Amino acid sequence: MNGRILVVDDDVALAEMVGIVLRAEGFEPLFCSHGDDALDAFHSSQPDLVLLDLMLPGKDGTEICRLIRAESSVPIVMLTAKSDTVDVVVGLESGADDYIPKPFKAKELIARVRARLRHNDQPSPEQLGIGDLHIDVAGHRVTRAGELIALTPLEFDLLVALARKPWQVFTRETLLEKVWGYRHAADTRLVNVHVQRLRSKIEHDPEHPEIVVTVRGVGYKAGATTA
Amino acid sequence: MSRRSPGAVRRARLAALRSARRIRLGTANAVLVWRSSLQVRVLTSTLVVGILALVGLGVYLSDRIRDGLFDQRVAQLLEESARSTQSAQTTLSTSTAPTAAEVQQLFFDLVPALKVGGSGAPEIFLRRSPVDAPPLLVNDVSSRPELNYLLSADLRAAILADDTQHWMSVAIPVDEGEGVHPGVLVGSIVTVPAAGQYELYFLYSLESEATTLGFVQRVLGAAAAGLVLLLAAMTWSVTRQTVQPVRSAARVAERFAEGHLSERMTVKGMDEMATLARSFNEMAASLQDQIGRMEELSLLQRRFVSDVSHELRTPLTTIRMAAEVIHDAREDLGKAAGRSAELLTTQLDRFEELLADLLEISRFDAGAAMLDADSLDVREVVTTAVEQAAPLAERKGSWLSVTLPEGPAVADIDPRRVERVLRNLLVNAIEHAEGQNIEVRVAGDARAVAVSVRDHGIGMTTEEAEHVFDRFWRADPARARTTGGTGLGLAISVEDAHLHGGWLEAWGAPGAGACFRLTLPRRAGIVLESSPLPLVPDDDPVVPMVEPRRTSTALDPTSVPDLEGWDR
Repeated sequence: MNGRILVVDDDVALAEMVGIVLRAEGFEPLFCSHGDDALDAFHSSQPDLVLLDLMLPGKDGTEICRLIRAESSVPIVMLTAKSDTVDVVVGLESGADDYIPKPFKAKELIARVRARLRHNDQPSPEQLGIGDLHIDVAGHRVTRAGELIALTPLEFDLLVALARKPWQVFTRETLLEKVWGYRHAADTRLVNVHVQRLRSKIEHDPEHPEIVVTVRGVGYKAGATTA
Repeated sequence: MSRRSPGAVRRARLAALRSARRIRLGTANAVLVWRSSLQVRVLTSTLVVGILALVGLGVYLSDRIRDGLFDQRVAQLLEESARSTQSAQTTLSTSTAPTAAEVQQLFFDLVPALKVGGSGAPEIFLRRSPVDAPPLLVNDVSSRPELNYLLSADLRAAILADDTQHWMSVAIPVDEGEGVHPGVLVGSIVTVPAAGQYELYFLYSLESEATTLGFVQRVLGAAAAGLVLLLAAMTWSVTRQTVQPVRSAARVAERFAEGHLSERMTVKGMDEMATLARSFNEMAASLQDQIGRMEELSLLQRRFVSDVSHELRTPLTTIRMAAEVIHDAREDLGKAAGRSAELLTTQLDRFEELLADLLEISRFDAGAAMLDADSLDVREVVTTAVEQAAPLAERKGSWLSVTLPEGPAVADIDPRRVERVLRNLLVNAIEHAEGQNIEVRVAGDARAVAVSVRDHGIGMTTEEAEHVFDRFWRADPARARTTGGTGLGLAISVEDAHLHGGWLEAWGAPGAGACFRLTLPRRAGIVLESSPLPLVPDDDPVVPMVEPRRTSTALDPTSVPDLEGWDR
């Protein structure tokens, strides 16, 4: 089995169709069609990834996203019919790793899902340093002075991408490709939002970041290693 | 003579220039104040008119007073001197002094006696008439001999001529110091029995009248000054009362225009100004109401767009995925069902495009379209769009030639939108070029950057060019659709151009092709007045300034197989 995927969508036809497509690719889909049941379904199914519609009866997508994120770092991919700036940013800020605007193609959906599940099956015995942080890539752990910092897999990937090449300035497009697996330049807001989230967890002062540094007009780079 | 050093000359010239500039500036300021302040204008005009009127009145009054004083005094003095002359004549006639010495003594006694009589304390002059040889030689007598020069020849001649009383105005020197007093000299003839004809002159000073006149003039002046001040104060306060509400109305209107819709004027009293304030407030309230209603509508519209988006997109996603599954399995379906699956997939693409375009246009209509502008080189955006359009051009057998300026053509643009506009223009041109070449040009000037896309295809009439940006408009409804298109592409493009503050224009002539020109301001806020590129091409064969970039491969375009069928 390739992975358990919880599909939270009130549109039964779409959910079933998504299920057909996922099953064809070897995933195991689980369904939930009401916002209020989503968290229970999450608890009982323990999925490897959540596909979450933003507009749901009961609790809406962003709230469910926040609740799941509060207790788990499982990858969350939003399905959204609203591709307007505000909705996407709100969704991403509530903790989603990626989003797919409707209408999407089956291939896009599978590519996004695979990209989010990919890192789990490629461990490499590697130790990295960035700022005063220590990264154990194989153990998926980030520590500061021996103390563990909890990151989602996506944030971890983002940090590792920067830490592997501390001399390089990464454009947002490059990061989208490396971390999210987009082959064509897509929505760079994904990068902005997640860099902010990452900073809020690892920086001493997120207002004046020293570990993930903004290079104006270009993108981001790793700060100087101090540990 | 010392020559000034060149430095000094330059400094002097500079100083002169500076002061000239200051004067110019001062004048300009004054003109500005004059033009911009009603209060200053009214005050100045009132003061000018008031001062002119008061000066005129003052001059007239003091003139009349002076003439009146003078005439009255002269009449009185003439009467007085006539009386004195009469009494002197009597004294002289009754005297019996036989000798020159006695006559002389008589004169000496007479002069002081005459001086004390009457009101004016005149100076007395007694002179012998130069008529005939006198029997006795008696010297002239005068109370102030140093003023003898005042007795002018004209006056003496007049007195001698008709033997009556004559007078003239004279200027009497002040005893000490400089200056003169006005005076009146009255002369007449007296006859001395033993010594013949003598002229008797009375010199009256008008000093007190002059003082009176001076006093009156000072009082008049002070009154005038007071009046002017009063006038100024009144005008100031009246105009202030008028202008103040106007100013505050202007301020409130300005704030209102800036978007502070709850701004209102204060209504005081029942006068015209209060009416103005009330009407203004009513207008403001009605505007606020309407704007509020429109905002609400726009919000509703936006929500509607968003809802439609959600409602349509979700089933479309399901259909699309289902179609893909069927499409993937088309080999097992048999010929008709397999082809149907293919048609279903391609038409879903078109449906999706149409939906996206519809949503985009409703976003423009709702005013919800946002410009995500960045300072970018338009050449790069053009290159990207051309590269994307190249395969289609190849299929249709058209060359794309691109003329770019050598330097960067940087402008604040939203690359997604500009690319979309160019893509639309290119696809449109390729579709109508009929295999002829298409020229893309980029040029910039200080204010704008322009891109023109020119084809040599079927062209269009001027009337058609006017409608080419209309929604769902087609030049020839009978014309087969080859590359699809939603019918909204150019309508969206023109909205995109407007969102940048730019222009999108079309020109066409039947048989001569068409030209579309996109002009974008370099920076937000620049108002376009002209474009760096012509819209109507000159009919000379196009000679590109820079070596044209052939974006397609070296293959003969006609050798590329026509893949058109796959689109349908």
